[in-house]
Amino acid sequence: MTGRQRKQLWAAVQTALILIAMFIMLVPILWIFLAAFKTHVDVYQLKLFFTPTLENFGIVFDDPYRLGEKLFNSTVVALVTVIIAIPVATLAAYSFSRFSMRGETMMLVIILATQFVPAVVIILPFFVMFRDIGLLDTRVGLILVNLAIVMPFAIWMIKGFIDGIPMDTEEAAMVDGSSRLQVIRNIVLPMAAPGLLTSAIFCFIIAWNEFLFALILTNKNAVTLPIGLALFKGEEGDLWNLLSAAGIIIMAPMFVLALMIRKYFVQGMTMGAVR
Amino acid sequence: MAEIRLDNLTKRWGDFVGVDNQSLHIRDREFLVLLGPSGCGKTTTMRMIAGLEEPTAGEIRIGDRLVNDDLPKDRDVAMVFQNYGLYPHMTIFENIAYPLRVRGVAKSDIRPRVEKAAEQVELTEFLDRKPKALSGGQRQRVALARAIVRTPKVFLMDEPLSNLDAKLRVTMRAELKHLSRELQITTVYVTHDQIEAMTLADRVAVMKHGVIQQLGTPDEIYNDPANLFVAGFIGSPAMNLIDGSVKDGMFVTTGGTRLVKIDAQDRDAAILGVRADDMQVHEAGQGDIDVKIYAFENTGESTLLTVQWGRQRVIARGDRHLRKDQNDVVGISLNEDHLYLFDPETENRIRI
Repeated sequence: MTGRQRKQLWAAVQTALILIAMFIMLVPILWIFLAAFKTHVDVYQLKLFFTPTLENFGIVFDDPYRLGEKLFNSTVVALVTVIIAIPVATLAAYSFSRFSMRGETMMLVIILATQFVPAVVIILPFFVMFRDIGLLDTRVGLILVNLAIVMPFAIWMIKGFIDGIPMDTEEAAMVDGSSRLQVIRNIVLPMAAPGLLTSAIFCFIIAWNEFLFALILTNKNAVTLPIGLALFKGEEGDLWNLLSAAGIIIMAPMFVLALMIRKYFVQGMTMGAVR
Repeated sequence: MAEIRLDNLTKRWGDFVGVDNQSLHIRDREFLVLLGPSGCGKTTTMRMIAGLEEPTAGEIRIGDRLVNDDLPKDRDVAMVFQNYGLYPHMTIFENIAYPLRVRGVAKSDIRPRVEKAAEQVELTEFLDRKPKALSGGQRQRVALARAIVRTPKVFLMDEPLSNLDAKLRVTMRAELKHLSRELQITTVYVTHDQIEAMTLADRVAVMKHGVIQQLGTPDEIYNDPANLFVAGFIGSPAMNLIDGSVKDGMFVTTGGTRLVKIDAQDRDAAILGVRADDMQVHEAGQGDIDVKIYAFENTGESTLLTVQWGRQRVIARGDRHLRKDQNDVVGISLNEDHLYLFDPETENRIRI
């Protein structure tokens, strides 16, 4: 086999591997997408051509499923989480990036280490604690839990973006007459904006998809969309057409956000320093 | 406008001494250059004046005011950074206007002042662009304009020309000199380039290992160096330093050549300093000593002859019409009025 043939073969293998990976990842999504528009009868048949219907989307918002409430809960929980997490994480990340503190590395490692604890391990203490202080089945409780989940992630990510802002620029602003807070507002925030937006979107996705804590800590009032999916279980088995419709509703915002991330992520990476 | 007074200023990081107990009085309207190799403490000294670095000990005064505890913004200084430190998300106009805006200057005042500063550095046509769209030289001008848009008490410049290419550096140097004479504001300028120091400074402070080696006018540090370090650092090509001894009023090289008459006491070890320009090149046999050419270089405006002098190499400057070749023999004579003698132990100058 010549070198050129070997190269072509390798390229073919790579393409094949990518196609297999895509197939494995995308087929379930395609299946859900199709099932969401099928009737209860069609759903168990693996046919690609059928008469699409929108009635599933109507049913999931009606009694007894009332997906609208869950949608509202999910939106409130994810949005408030992001609104609190990003400013707090930005200030923390700025401090870690720019000031030298006693035990700084240690603190950063501890923040990251909280992510290593499996959620299942701490969920019982959470349950007991929330029951005692009355946060069980409340949106506030879920927001607190989600903050604990996204903050370490947000701090590390934003720190990376702030590290990329040259010190000279900030020092120039300080000599030019800015206080530290003015430096952050006028220089750091605009320069880190693509990074902050990227972090915000990631945090939103994490909070939006959070399942385990919501499953254990809510039962009626604060139920979120991922938990709502579990409702579609009737006497006749899993209602796959309704499940799929709800799945589409959960995924839609993610698709939009993913597209936004792609644009800003590239911008965040290529912002670059002025030299 | 103000004088700057540094008293017993020290900066240490753990065991590392950046600036070692230095005192310096910079006069009102003076252009003072801090000159030295990298790591000599010159930038640290400037950053302490700016308030970007906190001194370990000592006092800094700008005008009559003790500024040790003042934030950078309260010291009324303007600084030009090596990497310009521009604000990439703002237009050139906004960059130059920033010091005014953040200090609460009235909006109606800002535009004329920015336009005047931009005009002084010939940037008027670029005001609407972002820094990204400018060349290195233009960016440096933006940094300059941002410094001169206010009338600060003190200008601080941290190697402002070192990121520019050689040709642009020469033009910008002249522009800087012109601007500083016009503005008449006390300036501290940090550089490792001795030509910048010579051309721009009213006085130069040569630093090494956190200690000022010599403070003087460019003339003084060039013609009257205080020690071996200053002698070797200033001048291009650097001063020739020849190992030897002094015996019976003659300087004798380590190779045993009786080189030149020198009016000093006998000593076993001495270093003779002589600049390339203070040596005359003659035909073989006509100088004090005959030497073989190691390398002959023609720079256009003059010629440089590196000659082998026993075990040492020495550079002499010849006439620009001189043409010699490697391994030719020439005669060299030294100008007895411009010789320097140093103690190799202490590295201090031995006054003749």
